[in-house]
Amino acid sequence: MNSLTPDQAMPQGLTHAQAVAEAERCLLCVDAPCSKACPADTDPGRFIRKFRMKNVLGAVRTIKEANILGGACGVLCPTEQLCEGACCAAGLGKPVRIGELQRFLVEYGWKHGFDPLGTPEPTGPAVAVVGSGPAGLACAADLAQAGYRVTIFEARERAGGVLAFGVPEYRFSAAFLASELADVARLGVEIRCSSPIDRTHGVQKLLEDGFKAVFLGIGCWDPVRLDPEGPVVPGVLPSMSFLSALRSGREAEVAAFIKGKTVAVLGGGSVAMDCIGAAARLGAEDIYLVYRRSWVEMPTMAEERLEALKLGAHFLLLSRPVGYAVNESGKLNGLRIMRTRLEAKAEGRRKPVDLPGSEYTLEVDCVIEAFSARPDAASPSWYPGVKVDAGGLVVVDPATGATTVPGVYAGGDLVNGPDLIVDAVRDGKRAAKAIQEFLAGSGK
Amino acid sequence: MKPNTDLSVDFCGVKFKNPFLLSSSPVANSAEMIGRAFDAGWAGVAYKTIAGDKVKIVHPSPRMAGYDSGSQRLIGLQNVEQISDRSLTDNMRDIAYLKKHWPDHPIIASIMGFSGPEWVQLAKAATDAGADLLELNLSCPHMAVEGSGHKVGQNEDLVRHFTQLVRDATPIPVLVKLTPNITDMTVPAMYAKAGGADGIAAINTVRAIAGLQLDTLVPTLNVFGRGAISGYSGPAVKPIGLRFIADMAKHPELHLPLSGMGGIETWIDALEYLLLGASTIQVTTGIIHYGYGIVEDLIEGLSDYMDAHGIKRVADLVGSALPHLGDTDAFDISRQGVAQYDLDHCVGCGQCYTVCRDAGGQALAWDSATRRPQLTEDKCLSCMICSFVCPVEGLINFKEMPTGWQREECVTLG
Repeated sequence: MNSLTPDQAMPQGLTHAQAVAEAERCLLCVDAPCSKACPADTDPGRFIRKFRMKNVLGAVRTIKEANILGGACGVLCPTEQLCEGACCAAGLGKPVRIGELQRFLVEYGWKHGFDPLGTPEPTGPAVAVVGSGPAGLACAADLAQAGYRVTIFEARERAGGVLAFGVPEYRFSAAFLASELADVARLGVEIRCSSPIDRTHGVQKLLEDGFKAVFLGIGCWDPVRLDPEGPVVPGVLPSMSFLSALRSGREAEVAAFIKGKTVAVLGGGSVAMDCIGAAARLGAEDIYLVYRRSWVEMPTMAEERLEALKLGAHFLLLSRPVGYAVNESGKLNGLRIMRTRLEAKAEGRRKPVDLPGSEYTLEVDCVIEAFSARPDAASPSWYPGVKVDAGGLVVVDPATGATTVPGVYAGGDLVNGPDLIVDAVRDGKRAAKAIQEFLAGSGK
Repeated sequence: MKPNTDLSVDFCGVKFKNPFLLSSSPVANSAEMIGRAFDAGWAGVAYKTIAGDKVKIVHPSPRMAGYDSGSQRLIGLQNVEQISDRSLTDNMRDIAYLKKHWPDHPIIASIMGFSGPEWVQLAKAATDAGADLLELNLSCPHMAVEGSGHKVGQNEDLVRHFTQLVRDATPIPVLVKLTPNITDMTVPAMYAKAGGADGIAAINTVRAIAGLQLDTLVPTLNVFGRGAISGYSGPAVKPIGLRFIADMAKHPELHLPLSGMGGIETWIDALEYLLLGASTIQVTTGIIHYGYGIVEDLIEGLSDYMDAHGIKRVADLVGSALPHLGDTDAFDISRQGVAQYDLDHCVGCGQCYTVCRDAGGQALAWDSATRRPQLTEDKCLSCMICSFVCPVEGLINFKEMPTGWQREECVTLG
């Protein structure tokens, strides 16, 4: 492709001097709007003021006390919709780059061996957390800080959930995740990998084994497919399989699948942009993004979309993928696409409708489906009695994260469907608080 | 339109094509450097202080430490620079070279003797080499020996004595460079006049400690584990320099031409010195920060200002702000004002509210729904600190209140 050569490694964060200059743009707002805009209460208004006052360690402490995944959020949050979207400095031209400052401060702490939270004495009851993604880690960290003995049960061989398997290395490196996980481990949280729960070793078993409460944060790992009933088409991959293979030592295999090929990425979200970025780095010849709505409806930061364009991706907007074309041997050779238009705005986003007779076939070698995802269809049997909705999402009390089973809480994508990391952190924190209240009430 | 303003000045009977000179410092260390500065537009130079060769000058290492405020670099500069470490012969050859190649660019030879005869010897040598003026360095802040540097500047009798010796040894004009490390500079200035000085140069650097290294506890600048109180310069000292220049310019009996320096980087800084009584301007730290090229901006900025205000000669600017300067007891305190808010362009940060609450008159309320301050004029102290922190230019201004308006008294608890 005639486009910029992308960095294969995660880009460096701000230097100290750059961070100082950026923090000087902060208006030190009263009742800071940025702080109110953070779902996880990471409090940029406070940590940026601390940094401005050269209280750098205090700034790191503020972030980590509120949000054990402050580094991940600094890197991965769609900040333009959150803290930076509320920043008063936008009134003077552009918002403060809060996410980058947050990342800088968290990395400053790591670089200087700073332990912002210490290792609390585990005196409280045992709590089990299922899933080591953002929701589970946030819940575990808050409980551990409060003195609870927390064990995380992780099905996969490595901890981190979407942070480990759902984001490409060039955006969020394994080394960065390892540092963030070390902050959790230092709190005394035990993470047991390769420890899936299932029908026989489910929530009930955990409660029988002495855990006084359980938090479910197992996320959504069952991809929504374009043609769920149709045959398996070689050359078509769900985004989750594509991205997690890259994070599981199978880069060479995936590269062979992509290099020199014409790739179509289906979907308009952040994951679709990640798939474009990863495919470009693996040497795809041409990348098409196929999305049924228009540019402004895409649920991902403009910056990410522009990055994908700079990588040379061709955006086919108002284009609904309809199905696949295959050759005699059943291998993919095309993507059938229907042109769409948007209906007049009613509630929410404008709805795409097909333009009859507009279907055509785009020649492609492979397709990455980056649609939504659902909880594993079998998962409700792992937590009998916990109410789930029609889509398999766990139903909780929005104030506490409590499920319909006493002592069992849930949060993150398992409750919300695929959503932001910072929202999962918020859910984990919310449940940790409710679990403490629950256990205090039941005679901790 | 680019004005073609005549910026020339007559200073102690010597003509400079503009008022901008290099001051005696590392920026004026050799003919090679000074020649480039002349080509860039500097009108003259106070050549780095020359001594006899009796004591070999060796500079401490490192020589300087910067003082930053946030990301603003070098608002101050601490140095332990010594006088020239080059031989008298080399310096005299360089001065002669400069006079030969840039005859219209006056050389002020800064000299420092360690004894009466040495002052006389240096004055004669510099005069013979072609210097147009002399500048007696009675103010170097790094001299620990009695009878040298700022120790002289702090002793009026020595100021007069050495000035007199030099005055009698040379026909060219003699400037005395004074130290700000003293309460009242007009006192040594008057003694310099009594000794025959033709003009005063000020300020030399302010003795200071720019900071500490917290890991070693060594004050900056750290010379292999030792710090020392030493000379501090740059924008941070400009207000101090302006004060000393104004003090001397207003003195009823001094009436000597002043060469002003201390923290000058821009034409506005230079203009302020001129308006308060300096008739030439010397620069070091600004050049240390930005190089010789800033003279283009000094010249252009001053020219445009003079053109816009119909001022034909720099001399007409000199001291013209002094009538507006008096003592605080001359203020008309019957007139009072308040801060005035134009909230059209307010971005809603609320810094005004914070500082008024904690350091002002508690005159602002904060509307958290609209994110706007609400001023109670009757409580406003007119300290104006809100306007200093407001990020929006021109949002907060001073407004005079009508005669008879009374400010609310501060609340008393208990």
